[in-house]
Amino acid sequence: MDHFDADILILGAGGAGLRAAIAAAQSAPESTIALVSKVYPMRSHTVAAEGGSAGVVQDHDSLDNHFNDTVAGGDWLCEQDVVEYFVEHCTPEMVQLEHWGCPWSRKPDGHINVRAFGGMKIERTWFAADRSGFHILHTLFQTSTRFPSIRRFDEHFCVDLLTEDGRAQGAVVLSLSTGEFTAIHARAVVIATGGAGRVFRQNTNGGIVTGDGMALAYRHGVPLRDMEFVQYHPTCLPGTGILITEACRGEGAFLLNKDGNRYLQDYGLGPAEAKPRNKYMELGPRDRLSQAFWHEQHKGRTLTTPQGEAVLLDLRHIGSARIKERLPLICDLAKQFMGVDATTMPIPVRPAVHYTMGGILVDIRTASPLAGLFAAGECSSVGIHGANRLGSNSLAELSVFGRVAGEQAALFARGSSAARRSDRAVDVAAKALALLDQKGAGERHAVLRAEMGASMEKGCGIYRLGPEMQNTCETLAELRKRYARITLEDKSRAWNTDWITAIELGFQLDVAQAMAHSGLARTESRGAHQRLDGFEQRDDANFLRHSLAHYRSADAPTVTYAPVTITKSPPGQRAYGALGEHEEAASKDVSPKGGRPPAPKDPAHV
Amino acid sequence: MSNTIARSKTIELRVLRYRPASDAEPVFVSYRVPYTDDMSVLQALQSIKDTQDGSLSFRWSCRMAICGSCGMMINGEPKLACNTFVRDLTPNAAVIEPLQNFPIERDLVVTVGDFVKKIESIYPYLMPKVPKPIEDGTYLQTPAQMTAYESFSDCINCMLCYAACPQFGANPDFIGPGAMAMLQRYNGDSRDGGQQFRLDRIHGEDGVWACTAVGVCSEVCPKQVDPANAVNQNKTNSALDFFLHYVRREQP
Amino acid sequence: MSERRPFHRPQPRHWWAHKPYRAYTVRELSGVAVAVYGAILLVGLFCLWRGPDAYAVYRRILASDWSFVVHAVLLAAVLWHVVTWFEILPKTMPKLILRGLQLPQRQVTAMARLVALVCSAALLIVVVALGAMS
Repeated sequence: MDHFDADILILGAGGAGLRAAIAAAQSAPESTIALVSKVYPMRSHTVAAEGGSAGVVQDHDSLDNHFNDTVAGGDWLCEQDVVEYFVEHCTPEMVQLEHWGCPWSRKPDGHINVRAFGGMKIERTWFAADRSGFHILHTLFQTSTRFPSIRRFDEHFCVDLLTEDGRAQGAVVLSLSTGEFTAIHARAVVIATGGAGRVFRQNTNGGIVTGDGMALAYRHGVPLRDMEFVQYHPTCLPGTGILITEACRGEGAFLLNKDGNRYLQDYGLGPAEAKPRNKYMELGPRDRLSQAFWHEQHKGRTLTTPQGEAVLLDLRHIGSARIKERLPLICDLAKQFMGVDATTMPIPVRPAVHYTMGGILVDIRTASPLAGLFAAGECSSVGIHGANRLGSNSLAELSVFGRVAGEQAALFARGSSAARRSDRAVDVAAKALALLDQKGAGERHAVLRAEMGASMEKGCGIYRLGPEMQNTCETLAELRKRYARITLEDKSRAWNTDWITAIELGFQLDVAQAMAHSGLARTESRGAHQRLDGFEQRDDANFLRHSLAHYRSADAPTVTYAPVTITKSPPGQRAYGALGEHEEAASKDVSPKGGRPPAPKDPAHV
Repeated sequence: MSNTIARSKTIELRVLRYRPASDAEPVFVSYRVPYTDDMSVLQALQSIKDTQDGSLSFRWSCRMAICGSCGMMINGEPKLACNTFVRDLTPNAAVIEPLQNFPIERDLVVTVGDFVKKIESIYPYLMPKVPKPIEDGTYLQTPAQMTAYESFSDCINCMLCYAACPQFGANPDFIGPGAMAMLQRYNGDSRDGGQQFRLDRIHGEDGVWACTAVGVCSEVCPKQVDPANAVNQNKTNSALDFFLHYVRREQP
Repeated sequence: MSERRPFHRPQPRHWWAHKPYRAYTVRELSGVAVAVYGAILLVGLFCLWRGPDAYAVYRRILASDWSFVVHAVLLAAVLWHVVTWFEILPKTMPKLILRGLQLPQRQVTAMARLVALVCSAALLIVVVALGAMS
């Protein structure tokens, strides 16, 4: 097999991976950076993000506000020191992107325009029409071509990490076009491979979002943190799960049930007003909106469409001109996939899995417990999202922690000895090749993937029940056994996607197990993990802690717990709408040492 | 996709297959696929892969016409499989082939590397006219200034325009519509001062002069980028630059 | 030695005769028609230079029936050339931004065609008037 020596290896060339590569190239110009991606960089799923990226700019806004919104949005499961670092660095990173050419939307005077977004008290979401992720990704990719020290391995699939002497020392990658292996040896490795939403049946994610890097780190002993927290985006097209951006709601769209009512006011997010109001109604946080849908569905107030139950996202009152200017992609999607003209008809939408809050355990420097292994972006759990992510914090995360990862990896590489050319690489390749010839029951892996997706949707949905999660855990264990006996139809080497997607399924099953077991173990409700089986309340006494899932090969993972770093924001009640304003006012009247007034009962749980 | 709908309607897909390990040349294979009214060609191909023939290879990812992966020829036209719908192709058989004018790697997968090299060659990054530290904030750019280059920045690099371009079909070294759109995206950006660098890439037979204004590139573009405009407005720039270069050389 | 073996499909030899390139082919042929008409005018100039006898022969051929048919076809082709010429015109120009909005390309085409029409009409009137006066 071929060998390649690099100083820094970056797995994944989406927003975080590209930002890390650029940061490494800038901070250590003499280093060789290998940037590996299983797709050409511009296909990375960052491209599909629509709404925008957060960064405090307005005079009446503050870092404290962004901090508080984020921590409350995360239901106090955030690493608050990391959030403090994060909010401080968002705006400079957005400025950096603009300097690199990112076509942020502007006010008439040429300054950056910001829009309202769910769960944010004051508008601070920078946006590029409704294609923010697309523009950020293309800006980063095109800028990265400036640096000859970044050596790209496009359409190379990472089959496994190479670890030696307790250190990450590279990876074995497979060229999609030839089916041949290359061992890349590096002094530091950054994983930026994205989330794992494809383990669920209905999701907004592209086909490539299969948790590859999460599974690899996990299998090498790095815990996956907070995996039970999976975000359902409330407005996605039924059936395909295609994302309809939160920006629609930022521009003032309403969510209506089949009777034409703005039902969110029944769930503690009201009162309903004509104009959008931050943290009220449709601008509440995503978990609350998805939960409201679930309740409406159970009350029989959702619309039945050929692709399943839905509610209506009504943009009409925003006006045709503004819709076409601010939300052009949404118009196209509604037309092509639902046959709906968004300027004259409401769009059927429903929640679908969108984002993985949890991921590879890393600290504020993006360093994992495995020496030399760093992670950034959706694949990581750096601690800013907690139990529920606020929209537009994820694109900002890519830049802020992508940069940190690149710089830290470069620093680590500079202080490390050269990577040893491991014999392990040959074993890794052999194991991957063995899948080609695997003889077993002759089952198609597509069948297993469908069963996994259905089981995760049922057991780890918007609301969870112990017995259902237990079922899912058992199903996943059974699927893993069946996976060991699948046969591939395609035994060739060149562009064998049967083989690649089978390897991806292996990754997905491991990550799904971490999600299901972590969910089962958390006997409380917090953020995106909501239970209806006697554990409906938040339990700070026992569960103001992060979950850590530990890989145990053929057995189910074990789940342990780690404390949460609290600095400035003691755990409070997550309240939005008028309740939120009441809470905020009340908390200002009470000294930090005093008690809090009792929170109104959450109507969603009656 | 909903399981409650009985999938009694079927369509025949004739797919051009090519497996380098075993095929001397590409060959059509027919598949019969059940479909629903909201199904895209991409979903039909996935159905074939999942239930009939796992060896069928094709690129895809986002399913929403933004990643640019799934370009292919559908009934002889370059289209994205994810936003081409089976309902518009029935009742006749649909012919699915890899993108025209590119070498075929495997099945519906074509060689993309040369295109990527082209976009890398045109200095595809902002070279600010005026350097500015991050602390001083963003450059100013009015909405009108952004309109000057905005359509070119919407290119998803799907290469449908290259499949449509007969001059690229005749000359694979032609820089082509997509790369020119990216070039003009930067040249037309009010913040950029790198115009001269990029102009050096557009001269000659492999530059803009291979273009004969066929214009089908702009017709097939799924994002209304108008690459034909990017190429043809640069013919004037190329001619002027050539002339001025000649004149400049004459001066002592 | 890997399995990779990219296959080159040759460009269809008659691509210009198939959709969607037929419109382009017709347009380009109309350019040939312009050249043909130019040649006819050049021949007329040449005959004029040769003398009144040669020019009389030229005018007689021009007045013939088949010449009429040829000229009708050439006129249609030249008109088509004018129409499609102005369709390409906005493609050769940078985007025109007026008051923040891009001037749509079909407006540029429409304005250019109008100018061409007016100029042609004016020229025709001048030529006819001159002819009437002489």
